[in-house]
Amino acid sequence: MPMKMSPDRTKRNTMQFQGKQNSQGKINASDYGTDDFESWMKSRALLKPDDQLELTEAELNEEISKVLTIQNTNVVKNLVIYSFTEGGYVPVPPVGNTVTLFNFEGTALHLESEEAQNQILEQGDESYLMEETTKSKARASIAKSGDEDDDDEEAQPEAGEAEPEEEGEVEVEPEAEPEEEEGVGEDAGEGGEGTEAGEAGEEEDEGRVAAPQPGGKKRKLINQFNYCERAALTYNNPSRSVETQTIPPPRSTYGGNVLQWVIYDSYAEDYAQQQKEKEKEKKPGAYKKEESKKKSDKNQATEELNKRYLQCWQILERMINQNIYDDIAQDYRYWEDPSDEFREEEGTLLPLWKFSYEKTKKMTVTDICFNTLYYDLFAVCFGSFDFMKQFAEGAVCLFTIKNPSFPDYRITCESGVMCCDIHPKYPFLLAIGLYDGNVAVYNLQIGCKDPIYMSQGVNGKHAEFVSEIKWGPDLQDGEINFYSISGDGKVFNWVLMQNKLSITTIITLFLEQDMIRGPDGTEIKLKGCGSCMTFHPTNREIFLVGTEEGFIYKCSTAYSSKYLMTYPAHYLSVYRIDFNKFNSNIFASCSGDWRVKVWEDMRSDPLFIFDLGSRVGDVKWAPYSSTVLAAVTSDGKVFVFDLNVNKYKAICVQAVVSRRKNQLTRLAFNDKLPFIIVGDDKGTTTSLKLSPNLRLRVKPPKKQQNIDQNVLQVQKLEKLLSLVRELPEGKNDNDTATTVGS
Amino acid sequence: MAEEGGKPEGEGDKKVVHVYPLVKHSDMVEEMRTEAIELSITACEKYAQNYELAARTIKETMDKKFGTYWHVVVGEGFGFEVSYETKNILYLFFGGNLAIVVWKCS
Repeated sequence: MPMKMSPDRTKRNTMQFQGKQNSQGKINASDYGTDDFESWMKSRALLKPDDQLELTEAELNEEISKVLTIQNTNVVKNLVIYSFTEGGYVPVPPVGNTVTLFNFEGTALHLESEEAQNQILEQGDESYLMEETTKSKARASIAKSGDEDDDDEEAQPEAGEAEPEEEGEVEVEPEAEPEEEEGVGEDAGEGGEGTEAGEAGEEEDEGRVAAPQPGGKKRKLINQFNYCERAALTYNNPSRSVETQTIPPPRSTYGGNVLQWVIYDSYAEDYAQQQKEKEKEKKPGAYKKEESKKKSDKNQATEELNKRYLQCWQILERMINQNIYDDIAQDYRYWEDPSDEFREEEGTLLPLWKFSYEKTKKMTVTDICFNTLYYDLFAVCFGSFDFMKQFAEGAVCLFTIKNPSFPDYRITCESGVMCCDIHPKYPFLLAIGLYDGNVAVYNLQIGCKDPIYMSQGVNGKHAEFVSEIKWGPDLQDGEINFYSISGDGKVFNWVLMQNKLSITTIITLFLEQDMIRGPDGTEIKLKGCGSCMTFHPTNREIFLVGTEEGFIYKCSTAYSSKYLMTYPAHYLSVYRIDFNKFNSNIFASCSGDWRVKVWEDMRSDPLFIFDLGSRVGDVKWAPYSSTVLAAVTSDGKVFVFDLNVNKYKAICVQAVVSRRKNQLTRLAFNDKLPFIIVGDDKGTTTSLKLSPNLRLRVKPPKKQQNIDQNVLQVQKLEKLLSLVRELPEGKNDNDTATTVGS
Repeated sequence: MAEEGGKPEGEGDKKVVHVYPLVKHSDMVEEMRTEAIELSITACEKYAQNYELAARTIKETMDKKFGTYWHVVVGEGFGFEVSYETKNILYLFFGGNLAIVVWKCS
């Protein structure tokens, strides 16, 4: 701020050392009289700094005058500089007293400035200019009169520059602003003006608003060099800071002490180690054995311990289950349907436990198989028959009736499991067939995680789903083997070699019809589509094959190109075939054409036909009676026949699962206990107790009390068969099935 | 010195002072470790009399090869407790009386 001080404004200040009194205070004191002042002074204890000078009265009263001048005494006056051009010293022009603290160059033009005049003239609106100038002049005079009380110098509107002097501000701003604001936008200019400016501003405002109206044009007085249209101004993105921080690399700490003896010891130790290793290398075999032995010993110990724990837990689990399902257990053991005594030819099924596994709840039970040694244990295969609804994985669960809540063994596979069989001689061997055509053998003693054998390669498996798998009798040199049949029409024999499965084709099921011409001229022999297979109980070379075409072929493992017998059995796919347990010449078959048929070997007509009213998923002969067979249908019913009691009707028809939701798929008789298990398409296996009427035993005749039950059963069947055989052939031919379905 | 004391009482073959490099502790990856060991040995053999120079050489070379910042201590007797970027430490004995600690910490 420029220091402008006229000499007449210079004041003489009297310096008072005694107090904080300013000049104002002194004046007051003299005005009011000394008494008041004295008393006021006395009431205050004045604080003195320690190092204050002690002055005499005379010294205190001495007047010291200080003069403020407009000259800066610190400025050197006679400054010279050597000039080479003139060859002598030249006085430097004196430095001004002005110090610039703030400098701001405005973009506004003063209305009366030369440039503004020129612009207005260029636009050719002189009337506006005239009016404007007169207005501003009038205003200037008003401003002058208003500010006259103050010092003369400050009231200088002519200076024009926006000098931020205290009083000048009021004067200058209203002048500068309207122009600036007008350039930007009239409305905004007026708003700002009203608040800031005083009377003069308001007055001017009126003139300003009025001014452009006569011209009818909007004026813009702009500095052409640095003016920028508002519309052309782009939005400036505010700068912002974005920070990220990476995770510092992990750190660890390590420490140690280095001493000569530490180094020596380390070397000694390392050297000893090296020597040892050299020794070991000399006899590596011996050492390795030792080590592995140690390891295996340790592992074995922990494994055994774990096994024992597991066993304990299993027992505990079974005990808990027994307690939970106590009523079922009681029913199973003791409840014999008392009404059977009064119903002559009927029986009932009592539902017992239900077995299901959480992960296989949506899958279909594709096969059920009882263990041959542990008769309470059975395997349930989970997969799907539906081509369109295959699951990503399949499973086999081995349940025991002692623990209905959770399977004892669980095997999961990459594809749906379609069938399984437990070896009759080695009850720990489980063979399974998968939907993708692979077969696998599990040893339940070793574990359920990995199969001990698995078919490998495209040529080492079936081309379609494996529909049934059966263990065969051991080969001559004791090799374990099994047979499998698949939808691709082939029967394979698999032999469990040392470390792999060896595969042999037993028979390819060609249809007994001529070659068919393909579109490109190649001739194709059509293959049958194998759907089930069962071995002759006594002659293990002979087996029966059911196909989806509805034929049953009697084949032999010895001949790969010929059927021993062809039965035109069904109109739809044959689902299962089962040999009678007492007479190996008799077998039953079931099919999708709703029928169960009972056949005799080498007799192309069935002995019995039963129509069950819906697809028959499975049929089985009872192990305890030669004339009892059971079947399950897709409408959720179990049919039990006793041909000895009723040749035309089932003696028990019972819906086991809800007819709408579930279908029954498979059935199995327990060999020792009087119950059956049935599987449905929702992954549930139900066990059912057979009521006394369903398991009638043959009463030995009074004369021959000691005759074996087996013989009696065989006799019973023979008797029945002789009756049927006597029937005229024609009766069966016309296929008038006995409809049993309700 | 301990090893000198150990010599007379040990058996004949134990008198031999082992000078091969012995890695006492290291969590480096194999590649880096072999390189670091080789480097340390070369430096210590080159500047057998001046451990400071040896340490400096190792440090600078490691800095160049594996990035900053490596710290190296070469000496016959010292204690240390360092925090380092995991997988970047080597604690090596060499020449029978020398310990070298190399670690990275930036």
